[in-house]
Amino acid sequence: MPDRIHLKAFGMLAEKMGTYSLEIENPGSSEVLKQQLLAQFPELKGMTFRMALDRKLLQADTDISQGQEIALLPPFSGG
Amino acid sequence: MEKERKPKNIFVQGPISPEKIAQSIANHATKTDIGGHSIFLGQIRADEKPEGKVLAIAYTAYEDMALEKAFEIREEIFAKYPLTCMHIYHSLGEIKVGEICLFVFTSSKHRKAAMQACDELVERIKTELPIWGKEILDAGAPVWKVNT
Repeated sequence: MPDRIHLKAFGMLAEKMGTYSLEIENPGSSEVLKQQLLAQFPELKGMTFRMALDRKLLQADTDISQGQEIALLPPFSGG
Repeated sequence: MEKERKPKNIFVQGPISPEKIAQSIANHATKTDIGGHSIFLGQIRADEKPEGKVLAIAYTAYEDMALEKAFEIREEIFAKYPLTCMHIYHSLGEIKVGEICLFVFTSSKHRKAAMQACDELVERIKTELPIWGKEILDAGAPVWKVNT
């Protein structure tokens, strides 16, 4: 089975990337993914965002397993 | 018996109507151990920005994560304060100036628990739930809202 993960983007990030939901090859870790995304979407440079793995906010570089869902979250502005 | 609590949907499509708020208050009339309610209502403000005046805010959310997080916050607040009831509603979609987008409702035997819990809930909702507001202006392109 191919090692793929689900990538979701929200708010301003989704707008900049022109896409909200993608299936991508698993880069292995959140930090590698971040570097890949910055290379692929240069407009993300300088933007503040955090990542969540399977709906839990990441505090540090974390390994990603096949089939997991990783989300790119700009600063929250609910309420 | 301890009631098992499960994640509840907090999201409402469109604005939260004053009728819904009134009905929610009325629903508590049978809970006669309650001595105080605290309610926070968030309303869309016609902010004047350098780019233009706010007409509406369009809300989107990472719904699955927001519901999990809201449940976690709910459990923590219930553990911290002696509350009888707690309700959270947040709008999704476009909400116009003057309409209600957030409704937080806590009830307890005595007023202080309800008031403190309500205050803490509002702060946590604004900083911890993955929800985004995009301000629709009367001139030019929309601007992503920044919480202060």
